[in-house]
Amino acid sequence: MTQTIIWTIAILTVLGALLAVVLYVVAEKFKVEEDPRIDEVEKVLPGANCGGCGQAGCRAFAQFCVESSPNLDKCFCPVGGNDGMQKVAAVLGVEVAAKEPQVAVVRCNGTCENRPRTNEYGGYQSCRVKAALYSGDTGCSFGCLGCGDCVAACQFGAISMDPATGLPVVDEEKCTACGACVKACPKAIIELRNKGRRNMRVFVSCVNKDKGAVARKACKAACIGCGKCAKVCPFEAITVENNVAYIDFTKCKLCKKCVAECPTGAIHAVNFPVIKPKPEAPAAPKPAETPAAETVNKEA
Amino acid sequence: MMKTFSIGGIHPSDSKISKDCKIEVLPVPSKVYISVAQHLGAPATPIVKAGDQVKVGQVIAEPSGFISAYVHSSVSGTVKSVGPRKDLAGNNMTHIEIDVEGDEWIEEADLSDTLVTAIPEDNKAILEKIKMCGVVGLGGATFPAHVKLCPPPGKKADCLILNGAECEPYLTSDYRIMLERSKEIVVGAAIMKQVLGGCPAVIGIEENKPEAIKAMAAAVAELQRSAKGYEGISVMTLKKKYPQGGEKQLIDAVMGRQVKSMGLPIDVGAVVQNVATSLAVYEAVQKNIPLVTNVMTITGDCLPMEKQHNYKFRIGMPLSYIAEYAGGIPEKAAKIISGGPMMGKAIANMDATTVKGSSSLLYLTAEQTVRGVESACIRCGKCAEACPMGLEPFLLNKYARNNMMDELEENAIQDCIECGCCLYSCPANIPLLDIIRIAKGDVIRIIRGRTAKK
Amino acid sequence: MDKLLVSPSPHLHTKTSTKSLMRDVVIALLPAVLVSVLFYGWSELLVLGVSVASCVLLEFLITKYLLKKSCTVGDMSAVVTGILLALNLPATTPWWVVFIGAVVAIGVAKMTFGGLGQNLFNPAIVGRVFLLISFPTYMTDWTRPQGFIGGGLDALSGATPLGLVKEGGVAAIESLDYMDMLFYNIGGSAGELSAIALIIGFIYLLARKVIKPYITLSIIATVAVFSGIFWLINPAEYTDPVFNILTGGLLLGSIFMATDYVTSPMSNVGGIIFGVGIGIITMLIRYFGAYPEGMSFAILIMNSVVPLLNKWFHSKKYGRA
Repeated sequence: MTQTIIWTIAILTVLGALLAVVLYVVAEKFKVEEDPRIDEVEKVLPGANCGGCGQAGCRAFAQFCVESSPNLDKCFCPVGGNDGMQKVAAVLGVEVAAKEPQVAVVRCNGTCENRPRTNEYGGYQSCRVKAALYSGDTGCSFGCLGCGDCVAACQFGAISMDPATGLPVVDEEKCTACGACVKACPKAIIELRNKGRRNMRVFVSCVNKDKGAVARKACKAACIGCGKCAKVCPFEAITVENNVAYIDFTKCKLCKKCVAECPTGAIHAVNFPVIKPKPEAPAAPKPAETPAAETVNKEA
Repeated sequence: MMKTFSIGGIHPSDSKISKDCKIEVLPVPSKVYISVAQHLGAPATPIVKAGDQVKVGQVIAEPSGFISAYVHSSVSGTVKSVGPRKDLAGNNMTHIEIDVEGDEWIEEADLSDTLVTAIPEDNKAILEKIKMCGVVGLGGATFPAHVKLCPPPGKKADCLILNGAECEPYLTSDYRIMLERSKEIVVGAAIMKQVLGGCPAVIGIEENKPEAIKAMAAAVAELQRSAKGYEGISVMTLKKKYPQGGEKQLIDAVMGRQVKSMGLPIDVGAVVQNVATSLAVYEAVQKNIPLVTNVMTITGDCLPMEKQHNYKFRIGMPLSYIAEYAGGIPEKAAKIISGGPMMGKAIANMDATTVKGSSSLLYLTAEQTVRGVESACIRCGKCAEACPMGLEPFLLNKYARNNMMDELEENAIQDCIECGCCLYSCPANIPLLDIIRIAKGDVIRIIRGRTAKK
Repeated sequence: MDKLLVSPSPHLHTKTSTKSLMRDVVIALLPAVLVSVLFYGWSELLVLGVSVASCVLLEFLITKYLLKKSCTVGDMSAVVTGILLALNLPATTPWWVVFIGAVVAIGVAKMTFGGLGQNLFNPAIVGRVFLLISFPTYMTDWTRPQGFIGGGLDALSGATPLGLVKEGGVAAIESLDYMDMLFYNIGGSAGELSAIALIIGFIYLLARKVIKPYITLSIIATVAVFSGIFWLINPAEYTDPVFNILTGGLLLGSIFMATDYVTSPMSNVGGIIFGVGIGIITMLIRYFGAYPEGMSFAILIMNSVVPLLNKWFHSKKYGRA
């Protein structure tokens, strides 16, 4: 009995020691030489492996940063943001310029109310599948399909579908502007826009390229490409192309003149402080004002 | 033993309810909207403008690439506008709107019923005529016919296969033309066979259409007796199995050859044309009539017998007009399909108009067509058993949902013909084809990108 | 009609569903269930009832409260597991042992892997093997309870034919009549009672296209060839092929357990290899192992090879010779 125990212990010990030596030799022999800074940079990264930086993952991004050092202009980790990039720069001992923080913006206001359903979709609930099949279950062939591919693509739980409107809602706190939703949206509705001063933003919440009358028929809140906003904008931030207006966020100074001018309420202003009950803008017809106001309340 | 393809296949009920309804001619509406995208490939470029006078058969749009086709006016009258209009999927496409005035055809068109059996000798001229008349494949893909009839240099056609399988349930338009226009179809086959260098021609028909088999065999026999250039044409009875009419499956069934992955039928010496295409070739070559009409089936289980129809329609007719003329949309219909129930397109917009390839208005009820709730895969392998390409949809589904492109390519997702057998046979209602179709597109793009780089 | 329904093709769907497939399996099992109830009486009914009820209940409770998923009891797969487990147990098994078997089958072998379609091993067999190892006394007590008919048939009272062979060699079963074994008179678990009842079920499953014959036939053929060779060499030492096919739950296992969709290979070639493997392992255990029968172990061992077989063997693809 005792002998068995001793033998067992002895054999296992010898075996263990032998294998340890083999492992050590192999590890030494096949060691891959790598810049030690890659490890250090990887440590200060968020580790989300989202690919928002354009690299395959955090490790690849760390490698990319080390390779492109000292010039880190092309490297930006949207999840870590400017703070994160400062840390990376500190590890590498270089300087990096701060980037304007961005956020994903859903440019469709085709709620169930604004944009009546004209048919019923009965296939697999995926925007890509639906978009490949047809224009969607409303009269608007440009708007949100509502199957939530963006929600599935978001690794940070920042997008959710609002069951009341059938549209995705971005949680600005959680959004890291990694761009996964932008890639996932087959209708190119989601755009990364600068967060703006105190998170205040003005944007056209529509991408419908149909002519005004057609767009309006499909959706009450559609941009009809009338160009009134472009005329009223003092900073030439608005362009109208293919029957749809676009506000350049680098030029927009948040004066909100266009918001009051828009006849359909397609231009949204979010996160502006609500100052008393606003005096009604005389140019805006009644139904148009409602959706815009709703959005202000919802997103504020 | 009757022939059929060797891998997979399913047996849905064939439901050929409207098979005894004779082809009726639809009256021309007061206005038509003719799409410039009625074929596979680049949309045609309109060559008319608002205010132009057109006749029936006049070219109104020209091809804009090698794989593209002419589009002709199906009515006579005045062009009202050229602009975007929604197709049956609701997407914008350029349509030419024409106000109908009278019914005046182009002079060269021969509208008589006389059968012209003498085949012109000049193959080049024949091909040019087929091209100029805008003939496209009417079996579903609407691939320009003249392109298929010119094998690339170094390749030779060993057999012309005429597809009369009509394996999709419900559809009866091919069946009706095989009964009513059998001789014209055979003449068309003889023309195509001559263009291809005199290879034999086989007309493949499924066993569930005995009258069509008889009619076609009789037409072949009579033409072989009475005219020259008809030798080597035969009728082959095929076992009923879906998708017999799939190009690759039909080649396997008739010739016992299989087209290589990403290859073309001509690689194994086969050219497949639908019987309706053959009829269009006859009309183009022998009668100078461009492809502006075709036959479509109005059917469905929820439609009473007297409202079942086979109509000869002209391109550009609004679908709502046809449905109205045929007696209205039945109350119980939940889904309307253009094409067969296995591969046809669900119509989202009834204001869309007919195109060259339109083959039906099929009304399906909610019980027939609403999909069941998706449940877990039980790995029964029914999808793999059903797949006529020998793929494993359960595996492709898993890889596609995880974006595993290399594995998808290894498992031949690019070979998928989108016949729908997998989704049809899945007991767990997994949307296999929905997912595979998208992933297949991605994989083919990757493959093309790779070959383009080389 | 209110709004048009739009979805990708195909627009038609087969009437076959997971539920209808499982229902077909239950129907195919009915002859065997009927025979076992007739010959083993109330105690068999109790085993069946407890097994099916606890399997269904457990699946319901686990999906609802533990996994918090939508309930999957409706697909009837738990019923199939329950019946198969019951048919694999002696009719005299106490109800609480049956219940433990159900807990292991559904709770451990099925739901921990994620439920239907995800499990690596056949739940009913895992349950049975667990009981066989944990409660050998109950599991090898082959006393025949009083049935509704055929009270005087227990010529073998108390042991399975394979058990007899293990103890007393081939000579112990010389008095056996194969015709008896084919129809009803065999010692053992409820499902082994009648070969004919199981074969009727097999034919039904084939006719309804629920299963393909490859796995079942390859198991039977392998067992026949393997035991045939040994028997021809030494008939005094080894049992003959017919005996081996008719006993030890081989038919029950090869028709209903090895063909389980989830735990068998997807391709036909894979299925045949799977069957051959089961056949060989079964016969190795029977001839040379400690247990009198080896079907359950053989199926479990081959279950673990299935992922590999699925990786190696694929269906024949069009145009890729």
